[in-house]
Amino acid sequence: MIIDPQLGSFFTAGALIIIGLFAALFIDNLIKKVIGLLFIADGVNLFIVTMGYKAGGIVYVFLPGMTVDWFAQNASYPLPFALVLTSIVIGASTLAVMLSLIIILYKKHGSIKASKILGEKGNQTQSKTPGDKI
Amino acid sequence: MSLYDVIINKIKQIQDSDKEGGPVTNITASSTLAAEITLLSSILVVVIMLRYYSNALMVIAVLLVIGIIVFAMPIMPKLKKEQNDSLNSMIFYAILILGIITTLFYWGSLNV
Amino acid sequence: MNPLIPLMVIIPIACALILNLFHTKDRTVKIIAIIIAIILPSIPLFTNYGYHYFGGYAPLIENPALAQGLPVSITASALNVFHPAITYYFGSAQQIFMVVLGIIAFLAILTSLSETRKPSGVYAFLMFMGVASMSAIILTDDIFNLYVFFEIIAVTQVGIVVASKVKGNMETALKYMIIGSIASPLLLLGVALLLGVTGNVNITDIIYSIKTGLVNPQSPVLLMACGLIIFGWLYAAGLPPFHTIKSEIYSRALPHGAALLQAFSVFTLVAIGLIIIKIFAFFPFANVFIVGISVIAMILSITMALMQTDFKRIIGFLAVGELGYIGIGLGLGTAASITAGLFQAINEAIITAFLFIGFGTILYKTRESDIRKLGGIMVEMPKVTLLVLLSGLAMAGVPPLNAFQSKLMLIQSSLSAGVPELGIIMILLSIVTFMTFMKAFYAIYMRPKPSTLKIIDSNIPKATIFSLVVFLILCIILGLFPQIATSYLQPLANSLI
Repeated sequence: MIIDPQLGSFFTAGALIIIGLFAALFIDNLIKKVIGLLFIADGVNLFIVTMGYKAGGIVYVFLPGMTVDWFAQNASYPLPFALVLTSIVIGASTLAVMLSLIIILYKKHGSIKASKILGEKGNQTQSKTPGDKI
Repeated sequence: MSLYDVIINKIKQIQDSDKEGGPVTNITASSTLAAEITLLSSILVVVIMLRYYSNALMVIAVLLVIGIIVFAMPIMPKLKKEQNDSLNSMIFYAILILGIITTLFYWGSLNV
Repeated sequence: MNPLIPLMVIIPIACALILNLFHTKDRTVKIIAIIIAIILPSIPLFTNYGYHYFGGYAPLIENPALAQGLPVSITASALNVFHPAITYYFGSAQQIFMVVLGIIAFLAILTSLSETRKPSGVYAFLMFMGVASMSAIILTDDIFNLYVFFEIIAVTQVGIVVASKVKGNMETALKYMIIGSIASPLLLLGVALLLGVTGNVNITDIIYSIKTGLVNPQSPVLLMACGLIIFGWLYAAGLPPFHTIKSEIYSRALPHGAALLQAFSVFTLVAIGLIIIKIFAFFPFANVFIVGISVIAMILSITMALMQTDFKRIIGFLAVGELGYIGIGLGLGTAASITAGLFQAINEAIITAFLFIGFGTILYKTRESDIRKLGGIMVEMPKVTLLVLLSGLAMAGVPPLNAFQSKLMLIQSSLSAGVPELGIIMILLSIVTFMTFMKAFYAIYMRPKPSTLKIIDSNIPKATIFSLVVFLILCIILGLFPQIATSYLQPLANSLI
């Protein structure tokens, strides 16, 4: 049996989101955790792209010779693709910030274990020198 | 020994067992007690709001909460330990609440 | 079309980018930052109410010239009233929110420039970028646009924390980002589900589709979208389960940074909360859930505030706890309660900024934030002590200060909505809020000074005192004449029900 591509894509998106949540909860290595978090964002992006899919549809470019009604019936929906592009860019920038923070923390603690550096004891601190120079 | 002393001693005992908090002073013990009383009284008032759904449910819930209060005193030190700053517990609660919200909104609302 | 509306977002973004370029030129950074910070609260004062359409045009129904050549299948359908652009709406409520945000941003930036030895272009960049995104979140009528700025504001918040050099800030920043990367994709998923059901991301159009029956309101996908958007809202506002990370974020930022961060949380709570009650007005459970989570937020945060020993954390938790009042106002869903909730939001943003900057003077003088190691500061700076005491009284809702008016309105509206229990909880918890504040106040200011405490011999900058006095004046004005704010908020509240 061949599964409907749209349905299959929705299931893949759901699976990605669940894998991501699982990774966020259970994986201790921060890099792997961040990869897991990326899975959530990717799952959502895939979900949005799939929503714009139309079986047998055409690219949403209005060419000469098409009538408005025919175009409206056959073109796929362009808005989700535009949104996904923005969302991917946002995901990339937050990923960059997270990874750079992990690098800094690795230099400081010598470990990338979440339970060690982001645990209860890792940062029980009082502020010492605020406000000198940023 | 009066009831106040019993509770204060119990609070001090629990806080002593968790060493990170520093020395237990009167000010921390009494603020824990105040937090405890606030928590209990406001939870009781919240439970009374169940009367909008069903009176019987409210009576049962109030009795249940009073029972829990009697047996689980003092709650606040445990609650504080639960709401700690560790990433894993934060993520755990976030995903737990996500699950609760999804359940309530998706399945809970279909059959009301 | 109103040219001043986009300027409210464009000016802070442009200023942020310029300041980043001038990072090492201290004088230039200072001058530009102060000038733009003064301009920020004044633009909304001179802007007329209206719409602005980014990258598109007005709906066809308002645009007959464009509609002329189009087939009937478009002009006769709902497409005629849809908004084919990223729409920004500026009304009276948005005006007062923008003015208050601008004033808080101005005072926070002024304080930061005077308290840090060397003005930093990058830090100013983050503050202005945050203000720009916050303005966009307040103004936008497009839910995807809101998501984009929601993410930008999350990154700027992290940046403000990372720049603070408070111990443990990097760890907190990473935690906030990791939790954010769980919550914000799920908010996006909620937006996506709404898009899937209604084919639209414009909030007005979504509401139109639901009201006119183009979409089945009982569709489970729509209810799921509601749940996911509420989850994102909890993260943005810092309601439970995110109250611990939110209060930690506040405590790891510098006081002026924290003053700005809490203003962001308050206004995001209001902006997204209003969207939820607007779109899902047909779904009463959403309102019940908002009230429930707000009550839990109040109880958990205020009791946790009592247990803390770091005063920044105490104010952080109190700030989160006060958000619950706004949530109750929005969730009750009557015109009076929504007005009261929005008024409480304005008051809370002002008062918490007041508290953070006021308590920040202790850090400036002692570099210590553990209340067990502090004491006897009153002798050192009696005037600032008085101002801080007044800020605490304002937060607890003592007349004639502003939170008294809004809390009174909230309690009255909960009584008239037939839920007196909420009124009781609100009174109880504002008493406890005051007690928590007094505990910190006593330990820091009135107790004899510990011998180990070193006090740095430098005067509090005049700009800080000026900011505190401005906050106090705002509190008193809004407390004596609440109709100044409520008359702006009432139209929005009336339009919602």
